[in-house]
Amino acid sequence: MLEIKDLRAEIGGKEILKGINLTINPGEIHAVMGPNGAGKSTLSYVLSGRQGYEVTAGSVTYQGQNLLDMDPDVRACSGIFLAFQYPVEIPGVASATFLKTALNAQRKFRGEEELDAIQFLKLVREKTKELGIKDDMLKRAVNVGFSGGEKKRNEVLQMALLEPQLMLLDETDSGLDIDALKVAADGVNRLRSPERSALIITHYQRLLDYIVPDFVHVLADGKIVKSGDKSLALELEEKGYAEISAA
Amino acid sequence: MKSLSALAQSYIERFDTALETLPGQSSRSITDLRKAGLEKFSQQDFPNKRVEEWRYTNLSALTKGAANEDSSGAPALAASSFDADFEIVFIDGIFSENESRLDKLPQGLSLSSLATELGNGAVFSLNDEEDRSLIALNTAFMQDGFCLHVTENTQISGVLGITFKSTGTETHGLHIRNRISLDDGASLTMLERHEGKGSYFSNPVTDISIGNNARLDHYKFQNESVSAFHLALTDVEILQGGIYKNFSFSVGAKISRNELKTVILGSDAESHLDGAYLMRGEQHCDTTTLTEHKVPQNISNQTYKGVLDDRAHGVFQGKIHIAPNAQQVAGDQLSKALLLSDYAGVDCKPELEIYADDVKCSHGATSGELDDDALFYLQARGISESNARKILIEAFLGDVLTSIDNDVVREYFNTQSALWLQNS
Repeated sequence: MLEIKDLRAEIGGKEILKGINLTINPGEIHAVMGPNGAGKSTLSYVLSGRQGYEVTAGSVTYQGQNLLDMDPDVRACSGIFLAFQYPVEIPGVASATFLKTALNAQRKFRGEEELDAIQFLKLVREKTKELGIKDDMLKRAVNVGFSGGEKKRNEVLQMALLEPQLMLLDETDSGLDIDALKVAADGVNRLRSPERSALIITHYQRLLDYIVPDFVHVLADGKIVKSGDKSLALELEEKGYAEISAA
Repeated sequence: MKSLSALAQSYIERFDTALETLPGQSSRSITDLRKAGLEKFSQQDFPNKRVEEWRYTNLSALTKGAANEDSSGAPALAASSFDADFEIVFIDGIFSENESRLDKLPQGLSLSSLATELGNGAVFSLNDEEDRSLIALNTAFMQDGFCLHVTENTQISGVLGITFKSTGTETHGLHIRNRISLDDGASLTMLERHEGKGSYFSNPVTDISIGNNARLDHYKFQNESVSAFHLALTDVEILQGGIYKNFSFSVGAKISRNELKTVILGSDAESHLDGAYLMRGEQHCDTTTLTEHKVPQNISNQTYKGVLDDRAHGVFQGKIHIAPNAQQVAGDQLSKALLLSDYAGVDCKPELEIYADDVKCSHGATSGELDDDALFYLQARGISESNARKILIEAFLGDVLTSIDNDVVREYFNTQSALWLQNS
């Protein structure tokens, strides 16, 4: 699904990723944990194609294609979904319009028929019901005036609608209470399948109680310094990053 | 003696000949009025950048008299149809009976051409507190326009269309003079449209009086050719309880100025001046407003939003003047510009002149680029960059366009805005 080889990236001339190697196979859930400033968010932005990050070496192959050559929207249409750490407020754009536009852009890309307003509404109601999300947020402008929890729920709803192949969760747990955390985890777990993969970037082990990863990696100073199974997350929680990174 | 601009000289030189064919030529008073207008204009010339009110708009491309050869004369947006309930049409500044649809004019609404009115000896005045040379020029050379009157307590339903089309064949200026008066309790919704091709100079001057408790919803679509000059001046007087709402939507002209002056003469009166302008290429769009609160207890507000691409330039100058006795007045003003290119720019000059102490006034001006975070967010959901930009531009314009009261006009402006975005 995703193969990252010796990936180096910098922003504003400062190297943040210093040679990342990571392979994610279909159906696998990987967690990347690490202290602040380790490069966790940079990794998610580089994978989703945000401007301003310069890849200086290495490669990223996604479903057999060179991911780094793709525009952000093409990556999204090809099945990569980034759940933002800080979802962006977009005044003047109704959530429903935004979701429909995004979904139809992706359907069109895949050669599927676009949904009309009624079909879309039916689908979105289905998803909100499944996830236990109130659908009144659809009428409001994208993320405007949403609480932190509502913003993250909105990310989960988008993910449920767009049904990505590869979910990238960038500190989705930050600032969430336990209920919102469960909604987020539930969103990912519902999408779990032998074809879908996820990369969960997190500072704390907490989220991994609800989304059980197959692999856990420790990212420190732009490199993966240790990999293991889910027990590594617990070990990190217990001993802290400093000890593990140094080991 | 200072030397006049080439264009001013050519106006002065052909004035005597023009007098013979301009409407009202048989009336002594109208001829005197025109002469007084010319006299006033020749003392002033066209405004230049040394004039404070014209600091940001340079007319030398017009006044040097050089042929406008570098310009394409293309329409800004393709000519559009608007399904007005009744419509008066002017071709190259002259009333066209054939193109107008005035057979279904409702009772209480009278509409005639200025040429007819001048022929009948209607009285116009040159009175202008600001002594603006463009009004003087217009008075000297006014050749047609419309006179509109709605009688007391008559509510006109539907939208009156007023359409000015330019074919580019008229090389002299189009000096259009309009007069609108709404008697007490009358109401009217109108859409004034300007469109054309080729190079020309359009100079519409409109005097509006709003009676007690009368209401005028005045929409304007400025879609002149990208080689045209459009210098419009609108003066409005509002009496007690009267409401004047102006919404100007501008996409056209090489250089345009929409100058609006409203004088509030009664309590509980309202003046709302709003607008949106979408400019690209080398276009220049100036919105200049003056709102005078002469008496207590009334409100005014202004919201203008501009989208500027390429090397386009926007200007917003808004002055709110509150007289010493005009207590309990609220005046708000906001100008926002979205710059789509590093070379686009905007000048803003909000001014508050307040001589009363119990008033509520605000003004704000911002300009900025599209939000990169929002752009990336949309793209990260599969929306292409060009679509994402369109969505954000529409969102920027959204609140000012949705504030339009009339459904048909709002829909029309939304369509024009989408067409403009399609071309980008």
